[in-house]
Amino acid sequence: MNSVERILATLRFGQADRPPVIPQIFAHAAVLKGLSIEAYVSSGEIAANCQLEALKRYQADAVFAALDVCVESAAVGCEVEYRQNIYPAVTRPAFEPDTDFDSLQVPDPATAKRMPEVLKLAGNLRQAVGDETLVVGVVQGPMTLAIQFLGMETALLLSHDDPERFKRLLDFTTAVATRFGQAQLAAGAHVCLVFDPAACPELVPVPFFTDWIGPRIANIFRDFKAAGASANWLHIAGNALPILPFYQKIGADIGNFDYTVEPENLIAAVPKALCLDGNIKPLAFVEDTPDMIEAESCRLIDSFASRGGFILSSGCEIPPEAKPENIEAMVKAAKRACFQHG
Amino acid sequence: MAENISNLKQALLAGDHKRAQTEAVALKSQGMSIEDIVRLGIQPAMEALDSKCTVDQFNLLEIMLTGRAVAAVAKELFPEVSQPPNPKATVVVASLEGDIHDIGKNILRMVLIVHRYKVVDCGKDQAVATVVAQVQAENAQALCISGLITSVIPKVRSVRAALNAAGLQHVRLLAGGAALKQSNAEALDVDYVGQTAFDGAIWLEQFWGETS
Repeated sequence: MNSVERILATLRFGQADRPPVIPQIFAHAAVLKGLSIEAYVSSGEIAANCQLEALKRYQADAVFAALDVCVESAAVGCEVEYRQNIYPAVTRPAFEPDTDFDSLQVPDPATAKRMPEVLKLAGNLRQAVGDETLVVGVVQGPMTLAIQFLGMETALLLSHDDPERFKRLLDFTTAVATRFGQAQLAAGAHVCLVFDPAACPELVPVPFFTDWIGPRIANIFRDFKAAGASANWLHIAGNALPILPFYQKIGADIGNFDYTVEPENLIAAVPKALCLDGNIKPLAFVEDTPDMIEAESCRLIDSFASRGGFILSSGCEIPPEAKPENIEAMVKAAKRACFQHG
Repeated sequence: MAENISNLKQALLAGDHKRAQTEAVALKSQGMSIEDIVRLGIQPAMEALDSKCTVDQFNLLEIMLTGRAVAAVAKELFPEVSQPPNPKATVVVASLEGDIHDIGKNILRMVLIVHRYKVVDCGKDQAVATVVAQVQAENAQALCISGLITSVIPKVRSVRAALNAAGLQHVRLLAGGAALKQSNAEALDVDYVGQTAFDGAIWLEQFWGETS
């Protein structure tokens, strides 16, 4: 069974030879190769080489066609600061509260700033791994893009003061995510993960997600499937437990859960049709030992053994400075499960 | 007058800044003292918000809306004062050198202002020495460090020693943010790690809250 077959079997709650394991590795792949984060986020070709080196070392079940979280923001005109060994950050939003959201142009992924680098990354990865390993594209979700494009305080207050205008902004960010994700799928990604940490109940109330954000993510997922996505994957970092039960209804096949969510609570709350991935604490890959990571991995695999539909992963991105032996320990735990259950 | 006070509390909790301001104006014109408007209106509303918001249940949007409503009423009652009237304490907030992200710090700043602290925002990507100098210059009682990226942790671990070297042993040191909250107070050499901005504010309340 290869990685793609293993993941597809798992998300359909079918028989897999072992639990899939997907460490969420982005710029850690650059650090592993002795390159800077800036080099990684600037070039699809460099990023692809880094991802492939990381795959060779860790033998995980997926690679990520992802650079950083500011690609879409730069493409619509946000000011973005780049540093050698830190991820880029938005320093000035592109829009003002009085921007006419109806007249905005959705960026063309083939030409807009670093979007073409992401497409090159997806294409190079798919060419290298074919259908053996899952190639995961990533877009920022509609709420996260709204906050990046307008600024957090301005965006949240607009959602309260002028909901209709805010919904038009969400329609625009949905269009940006849809077009960018479709382009990644066309370039070679098997799936395109929607990363929307700003949709977390720690930022906005649950009805805000179910009424405003969820339906828009549902449209994104519908269009991704139409564009050939093998599955839809939703990742909302933080304590997303109150909204995780809605993921399957809006078309997600895989739902990420962060380290703050207890597996027992999640299993009780979420329909068995949704495959779940998580949730080792990202900092543990920096500060813990391989034995600790392996023990935590085994605990997670055991927690989901009777339910099925589980992908062993980190709760969120593994920090660039993580110890490689800790990532190896997580992969080893999943592969050992092969010998116990295979 | 009792109805207006009740309306003010409801408007504050609903985050309706315009209605809260209108009710405060009505109370003033009816002769209620500013101290009573604060004591009977703003303070109970903030206490209700405190009991509603826990580590497991709060969201930033509702806090921001209440914060804006409180600020609107404060502006009506204390038009000459830019900081909250009678602040409980002065708190410096900062992100340290190497961390150019400031969302977490900005969230904390808003929550602390709502809780009537004087907040001095030192900014992001700041050297430890700069932050400590700011604490000294402002005679601040607490320093809050927010960190989104794990690589900033070694710098966070050096803050307590820098405070001590500057004779600021008494300053309460709080850490939080997506990266730092994964660690613990002992490992970071701080007094407390807030799991959310609200959790951090509640921790500060034990020293400077109304009942402390």
